[in-house]
Amino acid sequence: MNPLLSQFLAEANDLLASVDEGLLQLERVPGDPELVNEVFRAAHTFKGSSGLFDFPELTRLTHAAEDLLDQVRGGRLALDSGMTDDLLAAFDLIRGWLAHVTAHERLPASAGNDAAGLITRLRAPLGGEEAGPTSASAGPARVISAAPQWLAWFDAEWLTETAGWLATTASTLRFVWYTPDTDCFFRAEDPLHLIRQVPALDKLNVVQPQTWPTPEEYDEYACLLSFAVATRAAVGELEYLFRYVPDQIEIVELDADAITRHLSGEPPLHVEEPVTAAFVPMIDSELAADARAVLHAAHRALTMEGVVTEGTRLRSVRHAVTAAAGALGVPVALAEAGPAELIEAVVRLAGEAAPAPVPAAVAVEPVERREERADERRADDPGGQVGTRVLKVDQEKVDRLMELVGELNVAKNGLTFLADAAEEEFGSRVLSRRIKDQYAGLHRIAEELQAAVMDVRMLPLSVAFGRFPRLVRDLSRRLGKTIELVTEGEDTMADKDVIEALGDPLVHLVRNSLDHGIEPSDERVAAGKAPAARLTLAAVADGDAVIVEVSDDGRGVDPERVKRKAYEKGLISEEELETLSDSEAVDLVFRPGFSTADQVSDLSGRGVGMDAVRASVEKLGGAVTMKSKFGQGTYTRLRLPLSMAVTQVMVVSVSGQRFGIPVDLVVETVRVPVAEMGRVLHQDVVMMRGEVVPVIDLARVLDMPWAPGEGEDRRILVVSVNGQRIGLLVEAFHREVDVILKPMEGLLAYADEFSGTALLGDGLVLLVLNMKEVLGLAARVA
Amino acid sequence: MPLELHEETANLIGVVTVDEVEQLTGWLRTAKRPKVGLRRCNHLHTGALQALLLFRPKISSAPSDAFLATQVLPLLGVSGGPANKQGSDPP
Repeated sequence: MNPLLSQFLAEANDLLASVDEGLLQLERVPGDPELVNEVFRAAHTFKGSSGLFDFPELTRLTHAAEDLLDQVRGGRLALDSGMTDDLLAAFDLIRGWLAHVTAHERLPASAGNDAAGLITRLRAPLGGEEAGPTSASAGPARVISAAPQWLAWFDAEWLTETAGWLATTASTLRFVWYTPDTDCFFRAEDPLHLIRQVPALDKLNVVQPQTWPTPEEYDEYACLLSFAVATRAAVGELEYLFRYVPDQIEIVELDADAITRHLSGEPPLHVEEPVTAAFVPMIDSELAADARAVLHAAHRALTMEGVVTEGTRLRSVRHAVTAAAGALGVPVALAEAGPAELIEAVVRLAGEAAPAPVPAAVAVEPVERREERADERRADDPGGQVGTRVLKVDQEKVDRLMELVGELNVAKNGLTFLADAAEEEFGSRVLSRRIKDQYAGLHRIAEELQAAVMDVRMLPLSVAFGRFPRLVRDLSRRLGKTIELVTEGEDTMADKDVIEALGDPLVHLVRNSLDHGIEPSDERVAAGKAPAARLTLAAVADGDAVIVEVSDDGRGVDPERVKRKAYEKGLISEEELETLSDSEAVDLVFRPGFSTADQVSDLSGRGVGMDAVRASVEKLGGAVTMKSKFGQGTYTRLRLPLSMAVTQVMVVSVSGQRFGIPVDLVVETVRVPVAEMGRVLHQDVVMMRGEVVPVIDLARVLDMPWAPGEGEDRRILVVSVNGQRIGLLVEAFHREVDVILKPMEGLLAYADEFSGTALLGDGLVLLVLNMKEVLGLAARVA
Repeated sequence: MPLELHEETANLIGVVTVDEVEQLTGWLRTAKRPKVGLRRCNHLHTGALQALLLFRPKISSAPSDAFLATQVLPLLGVSGGPANKQGSDPP
């Protein structure tokens, strides 16, 4: 399945759930603006995402639901249980469709029919503009015979003249009736600006509200004007001009007959007082519908027990009723009215606003609707499955699970000690064997459990690589270089902690490549390379490690320049300047404080780059190496453990105390006869395969009372730190174990020589050494 | 700046956008005998027009813009009429 679609389905599930929940809550707390907003947002997101796919019915249905919710949100409509039922039914239908989509990647064939009824019902409370007779008359380019009522806004004399002219020339004229939404200014619409763009404008009538609000109540951001326009422009031109406000305009094309019939057929409309008589119904339909909705809502709010009692709410209801009364043209004074008087006023107003179709319909419809719905899906229907089940789990919960797996491992390892004790202390070999059998079973389950939890934490490298296409694009444009980014092995999996921690080092490396490594196109062409540089990000799994490589085909690192810079900055001595090999020189870029950039740019060159990369990768238990061929490119390789949750350590002991050393660092373990130990410049050394390896006495470094026995073979653990081999003199070697490393916290936080602690199977605490710090400590002790 | 507001006179210059509507309305609310010059005005936002229609300031100079002069000015030219005067047909 298209990954976009599967993501949509997964999100849809969440959205549907939040819509359902929101609607149900709304029924309990009607009119809570937060809740309405929440449901609206969910519906809106739904509509937006559904537009990405070819599901027109889905988009139409969500659009209808969104429109209804928008009205509710704007306070123009009170949500009643009938509407809630319709909305729930709409989203249930959507859920059914999406289940079908999950299985077949298309909507069911019946979708259009199913949706049509619901869309009509959802639109009904909005006044059902679709069904209105007026819009039917606003058909496409055809001469209609019936003149609309709003033609009365035009001056009768002018109409007569125009009709005469049209009759003589047998032509037609287009009339536009434009009633901008009251809140259209907020959508950056300027109706007058649209009007002035009308080509060949013949006559403009700006229709002002029947009653202006008082200057104090006047809201300068509510559009109260309407426009009646006569123009010689074609219907097509007008439709194009008003294409963004199709629901606010009405276009008719009239000939002389239609106008004459209008003039003669409705004579009172255009003599002395045409406006009032003709336009009360019109304004009524526009404004009074809103007003009635407000009154209806106010009535509900007032009659509901305990909703409107205290000051603020009462004031707001009072305000709403006053405004509605104003809109209906029957201003009332309610300044100090209490709830009872308000109810009375509302009832009176509702009566005066006589033909009140909206509240009546609302009151009646729910009953019919419920009956209709008897055959529809019930809430307790099992329903289909939308998308594959994806659980969103808090990271902390997964971490906690991992911790528990660690504890389980420790507890499990305790059984081997118990088995030994059963045999040795209680002399029962049978019991010992049975415990060991139990242990084997438990061990298998624990391993599987651990693997399963680790798997949950695994993420593909594409998560870490995802930000680079954009980054490379932006930076390459800024630097004026042409760069092609290639990513390989994005589906390699690694632990989420590794992926997260990988982000910054990778950004550093990529930036370095872009800024220093890759040359501008002209320089590349001059060097005989393709003008577009190639930057490769590649990931590959290597046993229990993951290798990430950043390589470019840029100018590479100039070893001479690096050496000179390092010398200038005092990072290397004069001898080193002479003796360092090219590959060692390249490694100098990882030295703290090193920078080859002559100028500090905003991208890199502050001298905090590569050593920061090395430090953060090493903190993850990984390693960085860089290889470069001058003039041909640079290649940086990060090697990281697949998982940081479990660390493999080698256990050694000194003076009876056990310590762990990360296995990654261990090169070999050797036993050396005393006679082969040497001493150079106060430093114990051992010759191994022609190489002098310094040996550090771990007991002395850690201040532990232990000295090797006279004439006994020395046990030396050789580790590799920063590419340097160092031997550790220890008392005894033990086995390798997988441990879950816990960082040093609280009172021990200062102890830098340990990177963490781990619990061993027999209940002992193992301190894991931080080799870098231990070496530093050794240098100070010596 | 499309609005030049003085104590009792204001000049609308260039294109008056929705951003100026609030300021203009505020000025119209407070000015006692507002006079508005439209000579250099090229376009009025609907909101500004609406405010002028409501507060009915005296128009001190006619706009040179053709559309405003022919279609909009007649609406504003009626001075002294009641604010809730119905209809907009020019007399």
